[in-house]
Amino acid sequence: MSSRITGLSWVTPLGSGVDSVWQRLLAGERAPLEKLANEQNGASYLVHRVPADATKNLPPHPRLRRASAISRFAAAAGLGAIADAKVTPNLERTAVVFAISNGGVIYTRRFYGEIVKSGAQSASPLLFPETVFNAPASHLAAILGICGASYTVVGDGAVGVLGLKLADDLLASGEVDTCLVVAAEEIDPLVCEAYRQWRLLRNARTPESGHGMVVSEGAGAVLLTRNAGGCQIEKVDPGSNFFRRAEATGKLRRTLDRLGVETASFCIGSANGTFVDAAERRALGQNVPAYFPKLALGDSIGASVLWQLIAAVQALRTGRLPGSVEPVRGRRGLVLACGVNQQIGGLALCFD
Amino acid sequence: MNSPPKIPRRVAIIGAGVVSPLGLGLAETLQSLRTGTDCVTPVMAFSVEKTRCKTAGQISDSRLLEGVNRGRRNRRLHRASYMVIAALDELRSQADGFKPEMVMVGTTSGGMTFGERFYRTLGNGGCSAALIANYPPQKQIIDALEKFGIDAPAQVIANACASGTNAIGHGFSAIRAGQYQRVLAGGYDALSELVFVGFDSLQASTPEKCRPFDAKRSGMVLGEGAALVALEELESAQQRGAEILAEIVGYGISTDNHHLTQPNPDGSGPRRAMEQAIGRANLTPERIGYVNAHGTATVFNDAAEGKAIEQMFSDVPISSTKSMMGHSLGAAGAIVAIVSLIALRHQFLPPNINFREPDPELRLNIVANEARPAEFDCVLSNSFGFGGTNASIVLRKM
Repeated sequence: MSSRITGLSWVTPLGSGVDSVWQRLLAGERAPLEKLANEQNGASYLVHRVPADATKNLPPHPRLRRASAISRFAAAAGLGAIADAKVTPNLERTAVVFAISNGGVIYTRRFYGEIVKSGAQSASPLLFPETVFNAPASHLAAILGICGASYTVVGDGAVGVLGLKLADDLLASGEVDTCLVVAAEEIDPLVCEAYRQWRLLRNARTPESGHGMVVSEGAGAVLLTRNAGGCQIEKVDPGSNFFRRAEATGKLRRTLDRLGVETASFCIGSANGTFVDAAERRALGQNVPAYFPKLALGDSIGASVLWQLIAAVQALRTGRLPGSVEPVRGRRGLVLACGVNQQIGGLALCFD
Repeated sequence: MNSPPKIPRRVAIIGAGVVSPLGLGLAETLQSLRTGTDCVTPVMAFSVEKTRCKTAGQISDSRLLEGVNRGRRNRRLHRASYMVIAALDELRSQADGFKPEMVMVGTTSGGMTFGERFYRTLGNGGCSAALIANYPPQKQIIDALEKFGIDAPAQVIANACASGTNAIGHGFSAIRAGQYQRVLAGGYDALSELVFVGFDSLQASTPEKCRPFDAKRSGMVLGEGAALVALEELESAQQRGAEILAEIVGYGISTDNHHLTQPNPDGSGPRRAMEQAIGRANLTPERIGYVNAHGTATVFNDAAEGKAIEQMFSDVPISSTKSMMGHSLGAAGAIVAIVSLIALRHQFLPPNINFREPDPELRLNIVANEARPAEFDCVLSNSFGFGGTNASIVLRKM
């Protein structure tokens, strides 16, 4: 089924206004690179951080007092999407769907670090609950007063597609009328080190090389309803899993076929400087103009598909794609996602 | 405007597989449930010298890995992957050739022990990329899908301790709405130090026996395992002559905004989930013949859940089978769905062991210490978790 996008919002390393960040992307800007040090092993990593003022308008709430950055990003994006919709949804009939990959890793590292350093008896009961994957969704539901369905979906960089599919299924079931889909991620040296060990990270000594991913953070949110009209998610293809990297291209092609790539005006891809780039470029070929926001904003892993979706909406709204002087022709765009941990998916959206 | 189908489709369970401290497979699980076996044992996988709680429901690695080809690729897999593989293998023995369009599974920590090893070896050069690749929560189900050549997307739901019930319940809802014909659903979690110490730090786990709903209950013990069910649209399953193990008829989900880790003491969160599940099944509470309670044995959970059950039902038998196997978090909902399925098919009430003294604050019909024969058509299975997630499903005998 199709669902209508009635509100959207993001928190990115280039700021948090949908239009202002889009204009900066159109102008070819890239988020500033920062170095993040890992005190545990002395390594440093290139990252894109969310500027401190990006969440400054977040209203105070008891749930956010101890919450980690990921929950603040999520709350800012979620509240922003509802504000953007300009109509308050019926909260009794609204679900929260949260997509996440690494989750509250800052508190997780601190919590486990204390166990390793000082023993189990020093583990903090304040930190542990914030390490649970659904803590950010719980905070958001509490801030908004949503008491119905709340789902946290976890996966790799394609998890946003699976979250949007879950929202699509919830709307199709008739059990809710509105879904707030939020995806968020926060940066921590532990995550960067994991990707470095996995040989996926950009070398801090060669920042301009283009090889390897730059980890970033932030959130994206869309408010979906079952109504037609306006900007719609026409179809979500939850894709599948590639068991070997060599299979990724074939599975991406299958997703593109299911989404009707031949009638698409553009594709917002997930290339991030890793093996994903080649897989995606081979799958896309030369048939459709493509834009890859991760090359400007970094890879926010769990949050990235929502950023891609918002970029796609903006491309349809403004008729422009960053990096291209040609106007966007047609009213139909695709989002394609290939995660680094075996998941693939995509979606098609159109503008009435 | 898109609308859900006017006549909701019916949803059958056509296969099930389980691995838990109660046993490997449905037959061993049935035996442990009938005999009320206490499957909680001292923790050996990591040091519990400085924790209050020293025990957990655990699966023996020697049994889990018996007969498994430990080739180079397999050696890297997390033990949670082996649990999921074993559960899926058993499911496929009943539903051979089952090809799900979607996989919905719950977990809370995936391959967490690999994350712990990664952290511990970070400064000393002992890190391995294989630990990272096999740690993420979706990896364990993807390993199992790869093992059996199943090409389907995997939606991994991480709704804390309600995850498994949420996964099965959402699978049910999506088939009912006509979104899919076949869904593989369930959950998995393996014991890890981080989570064990986490619950210990909250003083949610007990140094004693796990005694759900007992007046002197003092907390939970953790567990581990995996369970999967093959869900199929009933008509299609019947047309091709599949054996129907039971029907899922209702699912409820609610969010309790009271506190991140504690339920509202008035029981309103669990009550909304149970009412919704029973209401969507077009049943009344009187039709429920057994409630498999979340029953963690923490003071707060059992009080809130007990209050909600007391308000909704007159004298329904209830038990928490976590008393026998511990609380397996993301797997718990899926495991107790299978416990409920077994109880329904074999017409008995699994016991709530270690029960000594009724809580004077709760008027509940506890299936204390011994299994009881019973005749009933419908069972309600509850799971509640951190973040205020509450989920209930209703199974009906076919």
